Amino acid sequence: MEYNKVTDEVVAKLTNICGEQYVTTSEPLRHSYMARGIMGLEAVVPEVIVRPANAEEVSKILVLANDNLIPVTPAAGGLSGGFALPAIEPGGIYMDMTRMDKMTVDTENRVLVVEPGVKSGDAWRIFKTKYPDWAPPIPDGAPPAATVLGDAIERGFSLVTGVYGPQADMIMGMEVVLPTGEIFHTGSWALPGAKPFYRWGIGPNPDGLFLGSQGSMGIITKCAIKMVPHPHYKTVVAYGGETWDDIVRPAWEISKHEMGIAERTVMVQGGNYELVMTRWPKTNVPVDYEFYKKIGVDRKWMNYEVWAWSQEELDETLKGIDKIYKDYEVREKRTTPQQNLHPKQIASRLKKPNKIAIPYSLWQAGFLFITWYTPWLESSAMMEEYCAAMENYGFPPTMWVASIDHARQAIVMPILCFDSTEPGIYDKIREFNMETTKSFLKKGWINYRPDPFVHAPQTFSQAKEYYKMLVKFREVLDPNKILHPGRLAIPWESVTDLPNPLKEGN
Amino acid sequence: MTSLEELRKINARCIHCRACQYAYSGEPDREGETEEYTGMLQGCPAGIYYGWEGYFNSGKQWIARAFLNGEIEASQEMLEVVEACTTCGMCETQCPNYIDTVHVTEELRAAIIESGVEPLSKHKKFGEMVSDEGLRNPYKEPRSERTKWAQEKYGDLIDKDVKIGYFVGCTGAYRQQQVADHTASILKKLGVDFTIISDEVCCGSPILRTGQKDVFRDVMEKNLETFKDFDLLLFSCAGCYKTIRNDYPRISGKPLPFKTRHTVEYVYDLLEEGKLKIDKEYAKKVTWHDPCHSVRHVGIAIEKEILKNSDNWLLDSRKAEKAKEAHYEIPRVVLGAIPGLDLHEMYRIKGDSFCCGAGGGVKAQFPDMALSTSKERLKEAASTGAEILMTSCPFCITNFNDGIKALKKEEEETGVDNSAVGSNLKVVELLEVLDELLE
Repeated sequence: MEYNKVTDEVVAKLTNICGEQYVTTSEPLRHSYMARGIMGLEAVVPEVIVRPANAEEVSKILVLANDNLIPVTPAAGGLSGGFALPAIEPGGIYMDMTRMDKMTVDTENRVLVVEPGVKSGDAWRIFKTKYPDWAPPIPDGAPPAATVLGDAIERGFSLVTGVYGPQADMIMGMEVVLPTGEIFHTGSWALPGAKPFYRWGIGPNPDGLFLGSQGSMGIITKCAIKMVPHPHYKTVVAYGGETWDDIVRPAWEISKHEMGIAERTVMVQGGNYELVMTRWPKTNVPVDYEFYKKIGVDRKWMNYEVWAWSQEELDETLKGIDKIYKDYEVREKRTTPQQNLHPKQIASRLKKPNKIAIPYSLWQAGFLFITWYTPWLESSAMMEEYCAAMENYGFPPTMWVASIDHARQAIVMPILCFDSTEPGIYDKIREFNMETTKSFLKKGWINYRPDPFVHAPQTFSQAKEYYKMLVKFREVLDPNKILHPGRLAIPWESVTDLPNPLKEGN
Repeated sequence: MTSLEELRKINARCIHCRACQYAYSGEPDREGETEEYTGMLQGCPAGIYYGWEGYFNSGKQWIARAFLNGEIEASQEMLEVVEACTTCGMCETQCPNYIDTVHVTEELRAAIIESGVEPLSKHKKFGEMVSDEGLRNPYKEPRSERTKWAQEKYGDLIDKDVKIGYFVGCTGAYRQQQVADHTASILKKLGVDFTIISDEVCCGSPILRTGQKDVFRDVMEKNLETFKDFDLLLFSCAGCYKTIRNDYPRISGKPLPFKTRHTVEYVYDLLEEGKLKIDKEYAKKVTWHDPCHSVRHVGIAIEKEILKNSDNWLLDSRKAEKAKEAHYEIPRVVLGAIPGLDLHEMYRIKGDSFCCGAGGGVKAQFPDMALSTSKERLKEAASTGAEILMTSCPFCITNFNDGIKALKKEEEETGVDNSAVGSNLKVVELLEVLDELLE
């Protein structure tokens, strides 16, 4: 696929659309939008940055990009802090959506409508002061600048993912600007004058095409997200263990207790002691487990965050969790002690938004989150294999796991801590990714937020019919393929040398 | 660390999370008095003013990385983006990866200039004047008149052979002589046997901040030679204090041969030791602005010094943070010792304080940004209901007074009452008050 470069004439037209103040070709400013790490390693410097004010401006930019065959990347800064950056030469137009930062709250219909630039820190502040009885639909574990819409459309975590599933499951409607410039709404919102009260709306719902596509199918300029109540009796309890099964199996028993204690156990997440260790510089922290044992950190542990309407409800839930653990210990002849958390530790774990996911750069100088979904009970096997592979490649085996929707799925997330200044490190990471991906795909595990150059082509090489379907939709929605490929491997040749599924067996 | 290259690994820690854009980025539930001032708040003066990512620290770290990796060449355009930052260090407070954000910015400025790009026009003039043997200050004043302010009242203290020096600084010597006068008076009242040195030259702060390291090294070496036999240097200027205390040892690679203390800290020491009691009243409603240089930057340096010597950050990070927080309490202890002073804190304080807008060479080169930032802070000060905005930094005082002037001018031109956003505030230097109160 050959694209054109951004010309002075295109810049002048962008200026006519957004205003001089909101268009720049400044070289340093273009570089300032780069990111390599946390969620992805590949990026190409854009040729021009625009900051549209509304969907109409977004539409006009896309029409202009189509007319001139120039690639476009939209981003508001979500993805737990990382950026979605263009991986298409020659870079094209980068749409910084941060100016679009309106937010409206409808407590009657229990829906929040956000534009792409609304950040978690601001949403939390506004809810805290104006709507304290409602939980803002922000990502759990993300820093304040992560955007609410970015998290939702990436199917990221909410504060209550353990019960309600990923944030995308909470979406009630979207305003989408198609790559060809048309603006439309999904769900009941599609009917002029209707509220976003019914996701499935007035016909078959195309939401799924836009969620997780990182703007490859269209740019989402508004999103209506369900709000849930924010009861104020909250706490966190944690239980340790020696093996992954020691934390995964009791969590499954607790989480499947639907209509019961599982409904108040809004977040279930855990990890290993390396998750604590690698938050500090490799040269300035003990690396022997004995130290962590002394300070009360188990080899593995699982946290349970519980929300309830009263102290009685809270106590009853904690009692239920404890009973399941006690029964598990007796039945399985295992030791899974409850951790004695200091009130400050509990407060720290309840704090949202937070910076908990950030310090892994201290270990050396850079880190990468790699995320996979498995059926919950298979997560132990995945983590065993992952940790062994990490150690084999010389990475500390830092691992995090969390339940989605009553432990129907697990998100398994190794945190690859590395020195980004080390020559060849990105090749080494790619090799590690390739090896583990090939193994995991054979087992039926799927990557969430696939690396466009490794996970996506490897997955679609196997799921050929699905890829062909995606390409068909993409060709209808974006005939000139001006939107960046995101993680969809479209166009195929822009991300891989593997045989193109479209050309096989036809 | 004395070059951008030496900071490569530290810069490489940045994962572009942008937590650094928010004051209280780790305190979502921090309670404020009003809806506007509560929870996490945007806190980067340049980012707020310009809006583009490259003006926030988060973007600048990636410009620095591109430069280090040879992906972008030094240019005037790049220098203009990178210099539009007050180097206040709000971002550094927020970074969980302990990135030395201000050092990276300052070293990036220096690296751009060392690549052959001319310093920005106003900054270049600073450098030229400070290099000039006949001036040695950025105000184009004769070097021979550096101690003129003291000749009549403190003539006997000039070039006296004692072990404690009062480092007056260029602003005290040439522009805000009343601050120098109050400081000398305080020290006399406290019985300090000190001297004022006529050989003192510019500390180099505006030169270092704007990337002109050759000139900086020259004045640093001159001052280190002049003061090498002293036991203690006292300061009234937050910028001089930070520069000599933090930057001289970092850039020279040698520990300072003397101790350093800001005069407010010296008063604090005496209060804590029980050697001083303030009896006179100052019955006013006051809010306090933490100068970035003497409060945040020194606090961060204390924290990082502890960590530098630690082989277990997991355990020692809390101790280091406590030491930093203890430093932030110093002006508050002094204010608390003044009878009648009714302190009403602003929302963004201590490590999360919002800059006055004058630092890092911004006041001279980017006056509109400096003024806009000043107004943002004045609004926050006015929200406390205080009549007095107190601080202890000559640049903060100048920039706040300029902000108030602009607000009053707007009132005259439009008839709008700006008192709710700070037009009625009176800016007061704490040293002036201490001088009035001490017997």
